[in-house]
Amino acid sequence: MTFYKELVKGLWKENPIFRLVLGMCPALAVTTSVENSLGMGMAATFVLICSNVVISLFRNLIPAKVRIPCFIVVIATFVTIVDLLMNGFAHELHNSLGLFIPLIVVNCIILGRAEAFASRHPLWLSIADGIGMGLGFTLGLTVLGATREILGAGSITVWGDLKWTVAGYEPMILMILAPGGFIALGCLLGGMNHLQALAAKRKGTIFTPPAHLDCRSCVMCKFGK
Amino acid sequence: MMESLKLVIVLTLICSVAGALLAVVHDVTAAPIEAADAKEKGDAIMQVLPECDNNPSEDVVSVNADGETWTFYVARKAGAFVGAAFETVSNQGYGGDIAIMVGVSAKGTVQAIQVLSHKETPGLGAWIEDEEKFRSKFAGRSIVDTQWAVAKDGGDIDQITAATISSRAVTRAVKAGLDVCTANMTALAGNQP
Repeated sequence: MTFYKELVKGLWKENPIFRLVLGMCPALAVTTSVENSLGMGMAATFVLICSNVVISLFRNLIPAKVRIPCFIVVIATFVTIVDLLMNGFAHELHNSLGLFIPLIVVNCIILGRAEAFASRHPLWLSIADGIGMGLGFTLGLTVLGATREILGAGSITVWGDLKWTVAGYEPMILMILAPGGFIALGCLLGGMNHLQALAAKRKGTIFTPPAHLDCRSCVMCKFGK
Repeated sequence: MMESLKLVIVLTLICSVAGALLAVVHDVTAAPIEAADAKEKGDAIMQVLPECDNNPSEDVVSVNADGETWTFYVARKAGAFVGAAFETVSNQGYGGDIAIMVGVSAKGTVQAIQVLSHKETPGLGAWIEDEEKFRSKFAGRSIVDTQWAVAKDGGDIDQITAATISSRAVTRAVKAGLDVCTANMTALAGNQP
């Protein structure tokens, strides 16, 4: 039961992108297309599971004073392994993600999970946390990537074969440029808070947004009031 | 004292294991990575050259021009020279270096170009990769019958809308290589494998 709880919390309740708002650098940089989002998400998931396993196994051996350097070494090792393996066996994907793979090292989701979860919980829960958080990160990236690719390119292409085009739509190039990332993320976060506020109102409960996304003290609109 | 010694030992141990692991993975992947890089380049060479029956990736001529070394991949059919390909790099792109493979026919006209790598903006400069929108504009052009500049600068190459910098960078890089290629055409054709 606990295993299941740790597994699914990353998908929605503690989604790294939409709820924890962590790892924004890769989230805004790679989500220009669904394909890049999926690739980045899966690479980060692999690193996250591996680093959670190793850190959870050695959590009692690593002295508290040097824990951060130890975590970084473990994470950097797995990132380099992913980089080399991807370059050798999935060259095309490596070409489009090349620049972002090394960025996984400094992805705060991975270090965050190592520090906040894997170093304090047993192996099997850490694996569940890694899978859940990784999938949640992938899901968040893909939703963001799909939004930006549809609006910015007018089509969705996954691995060259699956192509879906919106007929008669003039693409807004802005959406696949850097500002589009901020605009899409902001609108998605705002929309989600709004929907949850409506749902809470219907149930008669009070909606509490994540601490740093609480817009109730803001006076620009009346959402959540 | 004992405590700091423990810190040093643990960190050293972790780093050594990580180092050893990376050495193994590097060993395993070195060959596939090299093969993938070579295949990518070989594929690009074949795509830009006219039909041939030799292996241009191995039929290489080096030419020195203005202190720069250019490598030409020579294509032959039944022993006769049919064209050459070369790689040219521009550092005038919008987002970094642009590497292009250019194929030239025996008559000195551009057969085709391929973009090997670039970091241009997706949706704007990245269109330099597109055959219809941009790459096809070079086909059939030679050094003498073309104004080698983008239309905005008064040349013959139509730039991509809203991506003049990227278009200009590619145009200049292709011209630089084509100059050397045209000047050395007889040497390339005369070279025997």
